Amino acid sequence: MEVFLPIAQVFVNPVEILLLSAIVGVLSGLFGVGGGFLMTPFLIFLGVPPAYAVANEANNILATSVSGSTTHYLKNTLDYKMGFMIVIGGTIGTALGIYTFTYFKGIGKIDTVISLAYMYILAIIGTLMLVESLREIDRAKRNIVIKKKLHVHYWIHGLPLRMRFPKSKLYESIFTPILIGLLVGFIAAIMGIGGAFILVPAMIYIIKMPTRLVPGTSLFVTIFVSVIVTFLHSFNYGSIDLMLVVMLVVGSIIGVQLGQKLGEKIDSSGLRALLAILLLVVGIAIAYDTFFAEHAQTEISSISNSDLNFFSKFIKEFSNDMPFFYGLFSIMFAISLGVGAAFIRRFFSNFKKKILMKS
Amino acid sequence: MGVLTVQMLLSNIKIINKIKDLKVVIIKTGIFMSLAAYWGVILVGTFITFN
Repeated sequence: MEVFLPIAQVFVNPVEILLLSAIVGVLSGLFGVGGGFLMTPFLIFLGVPPAYAVANEANNILATSVSGSTTHYLKNTLDYKMGFMIVIGGTIGTALGIYTFTYFKGIGKIDTVISLAYMYILAIIGTLMLVESLREIDRAKRNIVIKKKLHVHYWIHGLPLRMRFPKSKLYESIFTPILIGLLVGFIAAIMGIGGAFILVPAMIYIIKMPTRLVPGTSLFVTIFVSVIVTFLHSFNYGSIDLMLVVMLVVGSIIGVQLGQKLGEKIDSSGLRALLAILLLVVGIAIAYDTFFAEHAQTEISSISNSDLNFFSKFIKEFSNDMPFFYGLFSIMFAISLGVGAAFIRRFFSNFKKKILMKS
Repeated sequence: MGVLTVQMLLSNIKIINKIKDLKVVIIKTGIFMSLAAYWGVILVGTFITFN
């Protein structure tokens, strides 16, 4: 059973996409990493052109980060002030990223650039994660405890214009979060990822935020970055395909919930090495695809408007005729799905608590 | 237990520990070599693509 994506102009199997996004969602929930850097390569492998995979995954990330951030908002584990500072940098970074994207698209090299960026990012994260997890396993076996220094100061802590962040209990230069946001926004715009794998370690080790505020604030920043990325991709290139977004969002929201539940039951530290190997395998698969595989021209199926069903025709016409409102609609659609998922989760968790109280 | 038996037992333990250490060294070298090969493929591939 295959479905035609009216914007990306390719046929995809919805079951495959739902399953893959659910699996990536489980991994995100289990390991606390965003699934963007796994899902976009998977979409490319499934035949979605890279430029479309990046844009639609950004919209999917918007929905999942809204869902996660709402949960943290309800738990009051969010530092808005710090979040907004990172968002300022993120906005500049995203604009620079979209400019770079446009440049490479203009010279026809965007697909190669996206593939190379993914290959290197996956290789770097995979290598670091594998080395770190093997070191941890080794230490645990030998019962070695390493004492970490309480305060390590880098050049970034000496920057001017300091400001108080009462929630995080920090007195930090505003340039620290802005610079981090700039890097995250740039990468998010080119690769269609949330950037949590940079943001989370940077918040803990460079900004030195309390760990309990990090996931919520990171998701809060991701919302703004992915809103800008989604809107700019939609407005500039008309590359958001709502049919694909629906499949991705449904799969990943269910997967994330399952992953978080699974994470509460099993110790995932030993599995981290396996995730690292998975990242390295995906990285080498992209390398093979980019360097060695004979490039079969992606089948761009031209189907006339009259052959499309009502929903596909509506999406295509909406995107072509009103790109600005289509971009806004994609954003609102993802946000409402995310908020809806968060409230459904809260409802079920309260329901479960009530049942447990009664029994 | 005689002194000789104790010495033999100790040397046996030492040999077992040496074998265990050797196993760890081999695994670590294997992982390092695989990572080096991995990065080699990526870097050479990039180099060839851009030339």
